[in-house]
Amino acid sequence: MMKSRPLLLAAIGLVVLALFPVLVENPYYIHLVETISIYAILLFGLDIVVGYTGQVSLGHAGLFGIGAYSAGVVIMHFPDTPFVLVPIVAIAVTALFGAVLALPALRVTGPYLAMVTLAFGTIIQILINEMDFLTNGPMGITLSKPTVLGHEMSDREFFWVVAFLLVAALLVVNRILRSHLGRAFEALRGSPVASDCMGVSVYRYKVYAFVVSAGLAGLAGSLYSYSEQYISPNTYNFELTVLFLLAIIMGGRKTRSGALLGATIIVMLPKLLDDIVLFRYVAVIFAALVLVGAAIFVAKGRSTLQRVAVPVVGTIALAGISFVLSNITDWRLSIFGLITLLVVYYLQDGIVGFVRSTLGLHGHGRTDAEAAALLPSPVDAVSTSVAATATPATQDLVAADKVLMQFGGLKALNDVDLHVSRGTIHGLIGPNGSGKSTMMNVLTGIYVPTEGAIAFKGQSIVGKTSARIALAGIARTFQNVQLFGEMTALQNVLVGLHHTYRSNLLDVALHLPRYRREERAAMARAYALLKFVGLESLAGEEARNLPYGKQRLLEIARALALSPELLLLDEPAAGLTAPDIKELVVIIRKIREHGITLILIEHHMDVVMAVCDIVTVLDFGQKIAEGTPAAVQANPQVIKAYLGGELDASIAH
Amino acid sequence: MLSITNLHAGYGKIEVLQGISLEVPKGQVVTLIGSNGAGKTTTMRAISGMIAPREGKVMLGAIDITGRESHRIARLGLAHSPEGRRVFATMTVNDNLLLGAFPRFTGARKKGDIAADVERAMEYFPRLKERRLQLAGTLSGGEQQMLAMARAMMMNPEVVLLDEPSMGLAPILVDEVFRIISRLRSEGVTMLLVEQFAAAALNVSDYGYVLENGRIAVHGPAATLKNDPAVQAAYLGGGH
Repeated sequence: MMKSRPLLLAAIGLVVLALFPVLVENPYYIHLVETISIYAILLFGLDIVVGYTGQVSLGHAGLFGIGAYSAGVVIMHFPDTPFVLVPIVAIAVTALFGAVLALPALRVTGPYLAMVTLAFGTIIQILINEMDFLTNGPMGITLSKPTVLGHEMSDREFFWVVAFLLVAALLVVNRILRSHLGRAFEALRGSPVASDCMGVSVYRYKVYAFVVSAGLAGLAGSLYSYSEQYISPNTYNFELTVLFLLAIIMGGRKTRSGALLGATIIVMLPKLLDDIVLFRYVAVIFAALVLVGAAIFVAKGRSTLQRVAVPVVGTIALAGISFVLSNITDWRLSIFGLITLLVVYYLQDGIVGFVRSTLGLHGHGRTDAEAAALLPSPVDAVSTSVAATATPATQDLVAADKVLMQFGGLKALNDVDLHVSRGTIHGLIGPNGSGKSTMMNVLTGIYVPTEGAIAFKGQSIVGKTSARIALAGIARTFQNVQLFGEMTALQNVLVGLHHTYRSNLLDVALHLPRYRREERAAMARAYALLKFVGLESLAGEEARNLPYGKQRLLEIARALALSPELLLLDEPAAGLTAPDIKELVVIIRKIREHGITLILIEHHMDVVMAVCDIVTVLDFGQKIAEGTPAAVQANPQVIKAYLGGELDASIAH
Repeated sequence: MLSITNLHAGYGKIEVLQGISLEVPKGQVVTLIGSNGAGKTTTMRAISGMIAPREGKVMLGAIDITGRESHRIARLGLAHSPEGRRVFATMTVNDNLLLGAFPRFTGARKKGDIAADVERAMEYFPRLKERRLQLAGTLSGGEQQMLAMARAMMMNPEVVLLDEPSMGLAPILVDEVFRIISRLRSEGVTMLLVEQFAAAALNVSDYGYVLENGRIAVHGPAATLKNDPAVQAAYLGGGH
């Protein structure tokens, strides 16, 4: 039932789209819908960058221009190029520029990235204008509709080409975003540092996201040049780039329907504001909708009169004004701005996001989780690659020697040696600020030690990236939880399983057997891992909605997804109450039984005493003691620096 | 001082709190006990306006604060020291404390001697004194936790909500945190406390509520709860 409805909607949409140019003869309307479709293709791509990876791009009008001009230039200089090749060239060239645009995104974020991408867009516009020899400069390029097999396409035929490519782009983008690639993009937004530590290279996937996004902009641009049959540099300006961003925000990020809706709004709204009579109708309907909606919200207690007052009054005022004004042309920009402001301010998740939350619809996250529960569980969800890369048992799994980590004048780690034997649980304790977490960060490549040597399985890991170290077999959790908040519990673990995929873009886009097999296996294993930590009933819940203690367990499940040989747990028991701690101790022991070596940072001494084989104590960045838990607990220096006196202990315990 | 009736709250489709009622009388320390996900933090967030309650009433003294915005609730004298050390990382310790006194600068609360209160906070937490001009983000976890507590006190609040003050602290500092709580209690500070070390929390409290699946299961004077075999077995065990 639930599944057939979207399919039915999609089928109706397809039929309407296909029949549109037959039913509507007016070429003006055909062209409008064509423009919406072309913009939508670009917006699918922009949403990857903005909605999923959480980067800002004000350079997409520039990319759109590159796509249009790639087509225009090819056609102008090589008129005999077959039609099918033109969009392909445009996609390739634009994707290349997308990679260039990604470079600043690797270094800066937020407003700085906005400035850099804006500069990119402006430079592109100037270059197109100045490079006369290639682009015909400000004169622009005139071209005709594509010719296939000696037949020049009619407006209607070209509409079908665009419609087909829109549907294809929708399908491919949807598949990419629901695959491991999409999860990698989304993980970047949630927590870059955790992405890297799950073996998902932030560097690589940011570039990837920009390249895919630019490819779509290139396709849209090339279609646009055929659609308009004339291109000139001043089309691809700052206003257009802002309009694109607005479409994503208004429509609703992270949805394809939002991109379609956004494209419709940015194309239709200006047209609507040209016609006063039409505008009056729409303004009245709009005001009525807002009024009824607000009434329902207040009646149901989901909002207060105070909160709905401004939008209700605002829309009614807009409708009133529409009847007072006789000439709308002078006011269209102000009205456009006002509407935009209202939508952006009140519907922060965009129109689609608002409708979804109002109707209580949820994304595919929950249905995926339900589906995963039904898959046969793998023999052993917690596995390690120990057997495959067996090193002599006598050799330490981790051998850190004379590690010095200096921040300015502060020596966070001062000549620390840490040797961890395979199969042990190695405790790391010490006062707050003694360097424990710094040690974790050094071991996982987040910091590069100032001096010293660190070997994992006999090989140096100093200077290697976090992603490479993670893939080499070191997984971790974080002291201040670093989950991918907007993703479900299941998706979080799936990011950890990213390394199990070999599928490329083609496998994903076409849902080839390899991808389907890998996806099914990963789903089953992710679910089994959630079960291992007792979170299977929350598989479809967004990570940010889980209580703190469960978030910590989810981090463990995600880390285990890496099939690590070494697992670093940074204060897993923090904030847990006594019964939860008992469960945690059981889980930690089970992990060890699977052959995984653990380093455990923990302040709950009962946990340390219960599970650790050996304990290292740090204080002011130096090792002050090492030995069995009992020996360390009796060590006067440790008591003084860390445990506190007998008398004090009686208050807290 | 703080009184909650039939409070319902949650996130998205999950209803975490399913109608809880509790009282924090003036000058008393009341502790909330419960396993993970029982709704302790959600209760605090619903009280301080960080999430909107779906149903029920929250009264601060004679003022109905249900569903008001957090900054307004704060100005009425409710200080919330949130779970997980939310200090202003790029500001100094001193400035963090002064920001805690913000409602006193704007006239929303009685001004008094702010400088003297900064000194008093430093005296409570000597480690902050040593790091007075250091950026809060460079403090260790334990120091940040102390700063969060000290900052909450800077408002001269009517009620303080302390969410997991000892989380992530070394045992020696855990003792210190509890010593500070009992000192504040002896000075008549009204407090609602959520603590991972439930037994220790009951030791410094007057009254306790046990939350189970979003409902109050048991409540009573702290000493009674501490000796309740059912509470002991479920929440106070585990080697503490």
